[in-house]
Amino acid sequence: MPDVDPADHDITELGPLLNDVEDADELRAILDAERTGRDRDPVVTLIQSRIDAVSGTDDGDPGEIDPAEHSPAELGNLVRDTEEPERLEALLVAEETGENRSSAKTVIENRLETVRGGDREDSEVASPEQRHPELDHPTADKRHVRALEGGVYRDMWVYCETQQGGLLGVSEELLGKARELMDGYNERYGADERVVAVLIGDGVGDLAGECVALGADVVVYQEDERLARFRHTPYTEVFCDMARGAGHPHGRADGEAAWRDYDEPRYTLFPATNNGRDLSALVQAELDSGLASDCSDLYIENADVSNPAKTGEPGTTRSFERVLQMKRPDFSGFEYSTILCLDTPSREFHPQGASVIPGSFAAPTPDPAREGLIVEHDTPLATDWLAMEVAGVERLDRGVDLSGHDVVVAMGRGIGSDPTGGIELGLELVDAFEDAALGLSRGVITAAYEFDGHVAGYVAEERQIGESGQVVEPELYVACGISGAVQHKVGMDDSETIVAINTDPEADVREFSDYFVEGDLFEVVPALVDSLEHGELRLGEAVAADGGEQR
Amino acid sequence: MLTKGVPDFREGQVSFDEDGHLERGNTPTVMNPDDEHALRAALQTVVRHGGSVRVLSMGPPGYKTVLREAMETVYADDLTLVSDRAFAAADTWATAITLATAIEYLGRPDLVVAGFKTADGETGHTGPQTCWCLGLPLVTHVRSLAVDAETGRLRAERLVEGDVAEAETVGCELPAFLVTDPEFEPRYRTAGERLRHKDHRAAARERAESYEDHLTVLDHEQLNLDPDYVGLDGSPTIVESVDPIPRAPAEREATDVDPGDPEAMGALFDELRPHGATTAAEAGD
Repeated sequence: MPDVDPADHDITELGPLLNDVEDADELRAILDAERTGRDRDPVVTLIQSRIDAVSGTDDGDPGEIDPAEHSPAELGNLVRDTEEPERLEALLVAEETGENRSSAKTVIENRLETVRGGDREDSEVASPEQRHPELDHPTADKRHVRALEGGVYRDMWVYCETQQGGLLGVSEELLGKARELMDGYNERYGADERVVAVLIGDGVGDLAGECVALGADVVVYQEDERLARFRHTPYTEVFCDMARGAGHPHGRADGEAAWRDYDEPRYTLFPATNNGRDLSALVQAELDSGLASDCSDLYIENADVSNPAKTGEPGTTRSFERVLQMKRPDFSGFEYSTILCLDTPSREFHPQGASVIPGSFAAPTPDPAREGLIVEHDTPLATDWLAMEVAGVERLDRGVDLSGHDVVVAMGRGIGSDPTGGIELGLELVDAFEDAALGLSRGVITAAYEFDGHVAGYVAEERQIGESGQVVEPELYVACGISGAVQHKVGMDDSETIVAINTDPEADVREFSDYFVEGDLFEVVPALVDSLEHGELRLGEAVAADGGEQR
Repeated sequence: MLTKGVPDFREGQVSFDEDGHLERGNTPTVMNPDDEHALRAALQTVVRHGGSVRVLSMGPPGYKTVLREAMETVYADDLTLVSDRAFAAADTWATAITLATAIEYLGRPDLVVAGFKTADGETGHTGPQTCWCLGLPLVTHVRSLAVDAETGRLRAERLVEGDVAEAETVGCELPAFLVTDPEFEPRYRTAGERLRHKDHRAAARERAESYEDHLTVLDHEQLNLDPDYVGLDGSPTIVESVDPIPRAPAEREATDVDPGDPEAMGALFDELRPHGATTAAEAGD
């Protein structure tokens, strides 16, 4: 009887035990014991693979590979030439009983699937030449596609856009959302995947610690004074160079990244700003994948899909795991769509990408005690990437930020009988609060009212609240003369308390208000201003003419 | 110059079915409104420097009328419609591969111009991704443009968003790819330019009468595109579901306040008082 009696152990225990046995005869005895005893197939395979390993045959034959000695990316390369499913199965068992890394298993399983499916494909699916005899081969599209086959995808990457040496607000929001998504993901799928923040620019390494505090596990940054301003080509090239792991068929020959062991990110998130949205489109194109733009919600779920482009066969359903579900307002605000970026049977569409509307998610509270890995990256910048000359930058004065105030006073078309007077009243009410801002409904901006000079400057799109304007959630929202179109509602309905003043008792705004004052804003607002100024309710004592002083 | 036909989203034109989904069949198709800015950029360049404009679109044969509209607007010389069942239901990446291949097939121009985004898809991705396939210098969110014919360089002012808005002046050599911002304004500075503008318009209106004589239609075979790489089959993304944006439901129970009723107004004022400039301090204690 050998030292190890396999019948006493389950397969996960046997792996490490067998790895300590160097004698092939001893192993054969264990194998016999298993065969005459419990005769479990995976255990037999495991022991056989250990016998092969100690017998020492050719290197590079996956039957003899010890997966524990290789990173998943290396394993991917090693198994690419293996055609025998038995050897791959043995390798899979060895991984399961050894390190048991989910990414390593995925690599092997993918190859197994390819090898097994290969027979079927060969017999049933014709070559591109046979299927499309009308075309020259290779076809024109191949020039534009840099696909990856059998790739390993992990982690959620977040492009953290910066401006004037600091993170954009939306970058902070994205890190918070990514943290939440990946915490849920890791729990749900028993995984250990990370949030990776990407910083590109001049001096951006200084922001790495902040990214960690906001939720990143890893920060990859490249800083260079030539990257001080966003430019499409170098930013895209640097991001993709970061994203592609060692041995990537379209990556740099000398590219390496010791901190990760996969080919490309599983998910990528970008801010839906002018530059962030552009970058998202270019990165996903270069990585031959897809994305949804201007998302307002994201979650990760499994999905059963019957779209024939994704199943490969009409009338069938294919289950996809770990799918990033991307919700976005569509059709100019009439509908919401949920977009999925999914592999097809013949092409891998990873990473799954999204750009996110600023303000969609709450910025997280930084945790200075959080720890993370900070990696400096160094893509050599080619001269022709830098051909775009930035000749000058001018700051535009149009940024009014309505968020972050305790109170927002918003004026709507109810001011129509006296537009200038209406805006003046709104401003008086703003002043009567400790910390308030003036907002406008879309209607006021499109109405083409004539305003006197001193209030005209307040009537601009920068103060618009709603779907195509700003989203606010103050403690108190006072809607004066606003009917309450749904496009306005989405910009303010997370406010804590909503007070509406409107002459029309049927106005939609009533449906999402806490207080509905049925009255004319030109009478009600002065009363509120007067009351606030005096710290007590004063009805009908407001004096519009002389500035509300006590008579 | 790239354009697309989209449903006419102007008030009164849009048709929805019972479930609140857009009814494309009953909604007229028009040239994408954002593309007008791109058309103006193309037109300004031609009026100032000569040359010709070709308008390129992808879509069903019915989009020919959209191209006619574009011809009248941009005074285009030629129209090309990339049209094939194999191209249907493409997302931005499959569309970009198709458009880039068509541009290569037709011969690369000095300038490719596209609008920011379409009124239906609203991604803003197709222009940049098409440019990436072509490997041209890309300038997006352009609000003004000048081409120096002597040096063959363009200079453009582009908008950058962020926590503050910025206008950035950039320059590059032609050929290049421009994506206009909705704020784009063409400039005609001299009487000569304005005169040429008028001449172009007259000639284009005449051409538009027989626009189909100036129209080329290309399919996947002519472009040597594998159907697996274009249309729905070549698209990374699918629309899994489309939900109407719900009409604002009654989410809050409004307390009605009669402005003449001191009691009701008093309750309202109690909500406001903690935020008042003169009363916030005491309320905070």
